[in-house]
Amino acid sequence: MLAVELQGIWKRFPGVIANAGASLAVQAGSVHAVLGENGAGKTTLMNVLAGVYRADEGSVKLYGQERRFSSPADAIGAGVAMVHQEFRLIPTFTVAENVALGASPMMLRKREMEQQVADLADRFGLHTDPGREVWNLSMGERQRVEILKALWRDAKILILDEPTAVLTPDEADELGRIVAAMAADDRSIIFISHKLGEVTRFCDEATVLRGGATVASSLPVETLNAGMLAELMVGESTAVSQRRVRTNPATDTAVLAVENLTVRDLHGIATVDGVSLQVNEGEILGIAGVAGNGQRPLADAVAGLVDTESGSIQLAGEALSGTGPKARIAAGLAYVPEDRLGVGLAPKLTVTENAIIRSYGTTGSGPMVDRAIARDQCESLVDQYNVKIGGVDRPIAGLSGGNLQRLLVGRELATEPKVLIAAQPTRGLDVQGVKAIQDVLVAQAEAGVSILLISEDLDELLALSDRVMVMREGQVTAEFEASQATRALVGAAMAGSAHQEAS
Amino acid sequence: MNEVTIVGLLVDVIAFGVLLYLAALGELVAEKAGVLNLGVEGMMAIGGVAAFWSGVQFGSPLVGLIVAGIAAGLLALVHALVAVVLGADQVVSGLALTIFGLGLSAFLGKEYVSLPPVEQFGTLPLGSLRELRIIGPILFDQPWVAWLAAALGFLTWFVLERTRVGLGLRAVGENAATADAAGQSVTVTRVAAVVVGGVLAGFSGAFLVLNLAKGWTEGVTAGRGWIAVALVIFGAWRPGRTAIGALLFGGLLALEPRLQTFGVEVSPILVSMLPYAITIGVLVVFSIQSRHRPSAAPAAIGRAYRREER
Amino acid sequence: MFGLSLAKRDEPLWGGQTRSVLTGVLIALVLGALLLWLNGNDPVEVYLKMAESAFGSKRAISNTLTRAVPLGLAGLAVAVAGSMGLWNIGAEGQIIAGAIAGAWVARVLPDAGGAVLIPLMLIGAVVGGGLLALLPAVARARLGVNEIITTLMLNEIILRVVRYLVNGAWKDPLSLGFPQAPALPAQAALPGLFERSNIGLLIAAAVLAAFGVYSARSKWGYELRLAGSSEKTAQYAGISLKRKIVTVLTLSGAIAGLAGGIELTGSSNRLVEGVANGWGFAGIIVAALALMRPSGVAAVAVAFGAVQVGGLAIQTTGVPSSIASILQALILFGALAAGVFSQYRLVRANSTSMAVASV
Repeated sequence: MLAVELQGIWKRFPGVIANAGASLAVQAGSVHAVLGENGAGKTTLMNVLAGVYRADEGSVKLYGQERRFSSPADAIGAGVAMVHQEFRLIPTFTVAENVALGASPMMLRKREMEQQVADLADRFGLHTDPGREVWNLSMGERQRVEILKALWRDAKILILDEPTAVLTPDEADELGRIVAAMAADDRSIIFISHKLGEVTRFCDEATVLRGGATVASSLPVETLNAGMLAELMVGESTAVSQRRVRTNPATDTAVLAVENLTVRDLHGIATVDGVSLQVNEGEILGIAGVAGNGQRPLADAVAGLVDTESGSIQLAGEALSGTGPKARIAAGLAYVPEDRLGVGLAPKLTVTENAIIRSYGTTGSGPMVDRAIARDQCESLVDQYNVKIGGVDRPIAGLSGGNLQRLLVGRELATEPKVLIAAQPTRGLDVQGVKAIQDVLVAQAEAGVSILLISEDLDELLALSDRVMVMREGQVTAEFEASQATRALVGAAMAGSAHQEAS
Repeated sequence: MNEVTIVGLLVDVIAFGVLLYLAALGELVAEKAGVLNLGVEGMMAIGGVAAFWSGVQFGSPLVGLIVAGIAAGLLALVHALVAVVLGADQVVSGLALTIFGLGLSAFLGKEYVSLPPVEQFGTLPLGSLRELRIIGPILFDQPWVAWLAAALGFLTWFVLERTRVGLGLRAVGENAATADAAGQSVTVTRVAAVVVGGVLAGFSGAFLVLNLAKGWTEGVTAGRGWIAVALVIFGAWRPGRTAIGALLFGGLLALEPRLQTFGVEVSPILVSMLPYAITIGVLVVFSIQSRHRPSAAPAAIGRAYRREER
Repeated sequence: MFGLSLAKRDEPLWGGQTRSVLTGVLIALVLGALLLWLNGNDPVEVYLKMAESAFGSKRAISNTLTRAVPLGLAGLAVAVAGSMGLWNIGAEGQIIAGAIAGAWVARVLPDAGGAVLIPLMLIGAVVGGGLLALLPAVARARLGVNEIITTLMLNEIILRVVRYLVNGAWKDPLSLGFPQAPALPAQAALPGLFERSNIGLLIAAAVLAAFGVYSARSKWGYELRLAGSSEKTAQYAGISLKRKIVTVLTLSGAIAGLAGGIELTGSSNRLVEGVANGWGFAGIIVAALALMRPSGVAAVAVAFGAVQVGGLAIQTTGVPSSIASILQALILFGALAAGVFSQYRLVRANSTSMAVASV
């Protein structure tokens, strides 16, 4: 019996076709993987099923019955629940309150409610304390609360959107057991992922999306292997990123040297824990790791945006520790942050105003910004990096992701840096955008710029980097020369040594 | 100091406490749903003039209370439409509501200035309880609005903490998108909370004009609305703590005119600053604490919500 | 609600904020007319009388501009903070603080000549307003304390300080029990320009013009807008947010303090409790209508000055002057609504989530 049947789903957004006739068929009581690269349309398709988006065309059938959802509440009513990557929990509410929100009896009896939540959790082996407030919980525990929310509403179909991205390996294993328990209870689980290892371990069947369409449906996971999956996900095998060939071998003069760097978050947890690294002239050092293992605070700390607890940072022999972002920019550091529109750019300001974020201090000699110079700088960035804009005096918020990133990268490189930190530089970009940015990074490295490349896209790292380091729980746990780095080895290190044999 | 003066003081402490508590409770409900309403002063004034008008027309304080609630609720609806439905800035809209409410109440009330008092809220028929020494006059000889305020305080706590409606309302005030995804209509919840807040501010204005000021004058609210805003913070957005704060701040209001008779050589004007100064202090303490745990303030306060597709 | 919802327009409507404000004025005039009509007045007659008393003669224009001075400076104070995303709700109190400080200077130096005394009083006013804003500024920058509430509370506190002064220590013994400080020495009055206007008008115009240009064109103003758009981006650009918050909020308070100083030396001539006269709150509306852009504040301030002068003038015909407050608030509500509709349009809601939500 098919629990879910999606057919010919089309969904268009301004300028983007996210789903182009995608389909999906999920057996009741099974765990079904939906695989695909970033931007393949997995999340959009799932949002259609969960009632967040309405499909432009296509049909949604649950247990053989045609359905039309106009809101998430509709979908929940029909037994479909989605656990998004960003958890939708209220930190000051207890676990039980979060679970019962919107689906409780009129009168809340605290004890009773907590007992019911505890009973439900026990049924599926979800360890949780219903009376605790959510802000105390780890990411794994929060995810269990999200799953409990779905079970509380008696969801028969659960969509988990890249559920392991925020989990430790142990937590991921536990999730696997929970998913199995739910399937045994005749529920159907859709498991979005791009990691082969966990798909083969946790799932029964897999559907692969590419470019918004389904390229393989309901393959038994036993038949999957890495090469085949890569081919399905990326298209022709030549499209798998080729390792770049250096024309100008890196020297071994360290330009960026980080010694024993430790950063603590607001709660006193060491997000970066004694990291040492060095990037040589003209070298690309790749940092691999599952999201949330300290990559972002590392980048922010090197750029001077967060305080460090201990350790030193040197750029071309000059000590940067304790200096602010401006001094580091002056010393030759440029930073393309992960959160482009929230950190790297100011969405309400115009294209010109965004183009001069690094240079406004020198546009004009006095206290005033020379608008002619600012405009020239902006226009030359726009021309050089082929940024498509509505006008230099229009707010930047209207630009597409690829154009935002071209402008941002161009602006950073216009400072003629010695070191460039690029965090997730191609995430969410279309194929052209990815290529444009990757080409720029390689060209810069060839020209002698040292690049610290942080990416969750393993293929990108392997294709571009001279060396790859792996971060896990704030520490550097492995390092590979480009020639020795393989997907399997790096992937195993990302997952932690205990899981090496599983990958 | 003899028993009479002390009892007289405590009677006033409760009376001023009730005045502040009603308005603060209304603001608490709105803020719990994520809407800051700086129009309390204006809503109280409209409630006051409406109650006085009603007193002149009908003579019944109960009718006055209802009319005041409706008038102030309608005024609050303006804030709800502008700041919630249309999503304009809550701070600006709320302040404009104060200016509007003060102006409109002065406009409508110009013929009532310095008219003799109308009928007050009376006491409950509690018989011999009222005759009890000390606690009789302090507790049982109070106007029934005092009991209403206590009941509304309990009701607010109960609804917020023990019902589905309250859970949804608090969720809307903490994270509107999450509440929306859970099927709670953000707009309906917030509009309702703002209007309820207005009704309670109107009750407070009615009590002020009928029982405390005993008449209508322009500017009768005299900054009490701002104390109500401060009280919500002092009470950490909890009805119970807010009640304690109302008695404390009400106590300061009651103490002001008596300081000299008590032989205290401090200007009553300086004492009248205390509620605001205390609130600043409390706010600073909260901010320091919130480094280690989430703030007591509803997280979504001040933020408009619009559901949008990507 | 009502089966309708808002959807973002692809392009905002033409005319931008000017259009929104004019729409707001129109809405206010219509609703105000309704109120006047219900009150038994002829709205057209009242509006004409208001317009005449605000613009009909040299004296009328002088009255309007005299009121536009504190409105414009208070509006500028709010806008300077607002362009960085900070709310200075305390302009009302900072005006009072400025007046207190100015009056204090005059008390200390009663025999100084006007050329010395007036500048010192105005500087005192600037410092006084700035000092009152310093506490919320530091609390916000160092501890993250919400400046909306602290500035609001300080309004009430400083109001009681001035009440204390004019009822006690600084009370004029000749005032027959009236709570006011003694009149300032004659040389402390700002030199006149025409009719009721004095050089306070020129000072305010100069300050507004300077900030209008400076905040739009300077590196300082650019940093302000960057921080107002996104704190994280400003930090990324190397701007010290803490220092910026302290300087900007203090500066905002100083500008409002200047309004208090001009009011003291130019109009009230003595410290009184009502020296701020609601201008600090009205200034928030002025700044909001100017979209927190210092360059737009002056025009709105003149318009609001005219409404206030008109409101006072029609009192003689039996219309309460509170119509002025009502019109000012309605202009804001109307403009806020019009502003939303220039970016969004009403569409028939396709969602049935309401039905589900109200089980």
